[in-house]
Amino acid sequence: MTNLISLGLGEQAVSRNSQDVLVAYGLGSCLGVCMIDPQARVAGLLHAVLPERTAALETNPAAHPAKYVDCGIESLLAEMLKEGALKSRIIVRMAGGANMLISPAMISAFDIGTRNIEKARETLKRLGMKITAEEVGGHKGRTVRMYVADNRVTVKLVGEKEHDL
Amino acid sequence: MQNTATFDENLLDMLKTITNEGFRNAADGFSGMVGRKIEVGSPTLELVPLLTIPRMVGGAEDDAVGVYLRFEGDMPGQIMMVIPYQKALELSDLLMGQPGGATQSLGSLERSALGELGNLCGSFFLNSIAKTAGASFRPSPPAVMVDMVGAILDVVVATVGGVSEHVLLVHANFHEGTRSVETDFWVIPDMRSLHNLAQKKRADDQSH
Repeated sequence: MTNLISLGLGEQAVSRNSQDVLVAYGLGSCLGVCMIDPQARVAGLLHAVLPERTAALETNPAAHPAKYVDCGIESLLAEMLKEGALKSRIIVRMAGGANMLISPAMISAFDIGTRNIEKARETLKRLGMKITAEEVGGHKGRTVRMYVADNRVTVKLVGEKEHDL
Repeated sequence: MQNTATFDENLLDMLKTITNEGFRNAADGFSGMVGRKIEVGSPTLELVPLLTIPRMVGGAEDDAVGVYLRFEGDMPGQIMMVIPYQKALELSDLLMGQPGGATQSLGSLERSALGELGNLCGSFFLNSIAKTAGASFRPSPPAVMVDMVGAILDVVVATVGGVSEHVLLVHANFHEGTRSVETDFWVIPDMRSLHNLAQKKRADDQSH
């Protein structure tokens, strides 16, 4: 029996249950960041929406860390460590950050996807963590699944089959 | 900052009138373009949290077609016409004057027809607001995407920057004779646009 845990916009989850599959459906410019400690058998997924928390957004009481790439990665790492993961063992994979608008008039101004990817790379570097696999950018939405049982991360594009990342 | 407070009953009523007029004009415009009478049933309006949208369209992973317009000017904002993929095929049949079931996939011609419909509806809707509120708009050309609902929604979420925002959801029903296809439009005004419109409405009410 697998147990699907669906992550909405700005949510994160960490699991030690081998029956759990963490899923972020239909990521466009959003970024899915997966962390796995294979030895401690802890896995986590973050569904981040925007690159960083800014002063203007800080005043929003509804704002929670997982919404932003920078503090979302930190908060996912903290939860992983709390569940027994060791930072040096954590494997990071990420997918998403597409630019959904191909119209030339809108490309540069609204390319949140690219900014999300850049912010993730920068944040992970600052934390001393390496990205072992990624499928980012482009113009297509993606669903990311993280299978806790065997540490597998898969990506599915619209009209295509699920494939391993 | 929540925009529900700004969206009071009064303002919704005003928007209903505007939407009715705008979509009727859009259907007329489109009928003129294709040379057949395509009508639009009275559109319905509701205010929904952005996050509930994927569930309303089916699911975040479901295939859909999105037609996106951004508008600048006195009251900036954005409009996304979204149709589940299967319905988009039906709508394409309707627009292109094909028998039902003729369109099997969306090529560039079908995409541009759907883009044009989104563009017309959006522009006429904006024209109605412009007339009522005395505001001016500059809409962008339409961007058409065929992808997962969640990914289409990201375009809007990323630009409004909040996950607790509300969207004005317009359900419209396009029909020709007995054939009809439902479509949804998400209208996401910038905060200050809503304030401007609400202010204008209050001023109008006081002067009557």
